[in-house]
Amino acid sequence: MSTTSETRTAAPQARKPQLDPLERARLERSIVWPRTRTLASLPILLGVLWWSSAGAEFDPFALGSGAVNIVDYLSRLWPPDFSEFGTIVRLLVETLQMAIIGTLLGSVLSLLMAFAASATIAPPWVYYPARWTMNVIRSVPELVFALMFVSAVGLGPFAGILAMTLGSIGSIGKVYAEAMESVDQGPVTAMRSVGASPRQVVQFAVLPQAAPLLVSYTLLLFEGNVRGATILGLVGAGGIGLELTTAMRMYDYGHLGAIVLSIIVVVTVIDQCSALIRKRLT
Amino acid sequence: MTLLGAPAQRDLGAAAPRPVPGPAVVTVRDLSVAYGEDTVLTGVDLDLFGGEVVALLGASGSGKSSLMKSLTGFAPITGGSAVVDGHELRGARPRELRTVRAGVGQIFQQFNLIPRLSVLTNVLAGCLHRTGPASALGHFPAHERRRALELLDRVGIAHKANEPARSLSGGQQQRVAIARALMQQPRVILADEPVASLDPRLADSVLALLRDIAVSDGIPVLVSLHVVDLALVHSDRIVGLRDGRALLSGRAGELGSATLHELYADEEDPDVDDL
Ligand SMILES: Nc1ncnc2c1ncn2[C@@H]1O[C@H](COP(=O)(O)OP(=O)(O)OP(=O)(O)O)[C@@H](O)[C@H]1O
Ligand SMILES: [Mg+2]
Repeated sequence: MSTTSETRTAAPQARKPQLDPLERARLERSIVWPRTRTLASLPILLGVLWWSSAGAEFDPFALGSGAVNIVDYLSRLWPPDFSEFGTIVRLLVETLQMAIIGTLLGSVLSLLMAFAASATIAPPWVYYPARWTMNVIRSVPELVFALMFVSAVGLGPFAGILAMTLGSIGSIGKVYAEAMESVDQGPVTAMRSVGASPRQVVQFAVLPQAAPLLVSYTLLLFEGNVRGATILGLVGAGGIGLELTTAMRMYDYGHLGAIVLSIIVVVTVIDQCSALIRKRLT
Repeated sequence: MTLLGAPAQRDLGAAAPRPVPGPAVVTVRDLSVAYGEDTVLTGVDLDLFGGEVVALLGASGSGKSSLMKSLTGFAPITGGSAVVDGHELRGARPRELRTVRAGVGQIFQQFNLIPRLSVLTNVLAGCLHRTGPASALGHFPAHERRRALELLDRVGIAHKANEPARSLSGGQQQRVAIARALMQQPRVILADEPVASLDPRLADSVLALLRDIAVSDGIPVLVSLHVVDLALVHSDRIVGLRDGRALLSGRAGELGSATLHELYADEEDPDVDDL
């Protein structure tokens, strides 16, 4: 380089970067005090907390006096009445089926979206629109999609599945994209170096590395969809949620208790299983 | 020290150690490489002929990696020319770049294998540029598989063909990477510090393997190294870079080790000062 001679003469003074003595003393102490910067942020944090709880009408005393009512409500759910257990099982199965199809469709579409939303894969003119689309989808509650699809395709599980699918593109598409962006770039460089096409680079360098994370996120999506499917029923989008709402409206507390218990069991079992699988993967 | 201007160096390039038929596979003339305003290579000339191992020496930051990257279009060429296997790299379009890259076997310090895929698949990835759309299903034709296994035999780790690449030791992984490069049926091999993460014995064996490839396949191997003695033992010719310029070039036997150590002499790098 042409700057060589200047660097040479300038070098002697600029050598040997030193650790600031004060910083050194601070690091040597066994108990490291937080910096002033950290301390200064405390009042700000407290301020934000106070401001938020005021806005959200957070009132511990109301909760205290209301606790009696909550206990009363819960006690009415007991004993659960399993006389309509057949219906519950049928609807739970329907809920699971919705979750399975919704997860399948959602993960496939999310993966496609994620390719477009990975900075390391897509060019900017694809990347930015994809990210914006996902942001828009994410900011709309799934219940709104459910209402939209109920009015489009009518009451029933199909509307629920569509809502789930669309919703998952917003949430899981983003984490897929981030999983693919965070893979080690070494193999990516290697694949580009052998003259692989962009599709082959993704297939041989990105996906194999991201696979454990992708599967893990997909299982999380499935768990979420099982829980979500019970809620979607509230607006008539199929599954056990509809039965749940009906029981609540009819003050059929025994039946309600049985439904809630069954949901808890199913969701717990699924969460445990998928946690097990995810542990195996990593 | 053999200080050379561009024309003299061109002559040295032509005087390759082994009398090799045919023209240079790689021809670099007055090459400049710059990242934005930051010019990292200027006026570099280099010829690589089939069958020779050329060692690239130079202190950290002297531009060894940049030179190699410019030969595969990974570093921006801002002046001069670099012709690899008949393709001019300066201003090459993406499609042409892929053709060039397919013909250049690259070996990296960090091996850059795909950790979860099998050793065999990693080697097969070297022929992606000539497989059709069938590779989308992970399908490789039988003759390519046979070839990949033969290459694994050649680098001495065929018995690991089925294991995931990440389960291999560093030396073994670098051998897989070499097999992958050979799978490309390369016209030239570029190895950027291929032995920097290996112990001395493995370093010797990997460099010996590269030399064997150069001789028996008749292709040039350009290898950047940090250890002068390795360059003296394992290369036919040495090119020394300093601050982005080719400072010296000559046959390994003719350059004394004192001359070579001059490449690293003095004040440039504050990190190594006064230690
Ligand atoms: N992608 C990049 N963007 C900007 N500058 C770069 C980039 N890559 C390298 N450089 C600069 O180019 C110069 C030469 O770097 P290069 O990596 O070619 O050196 P090297 O000889 O390979 O060093 P080492 O022995 O440490 O690998 C350095 O000053 C470096 O900071
Ligand atoms: Mg380097």
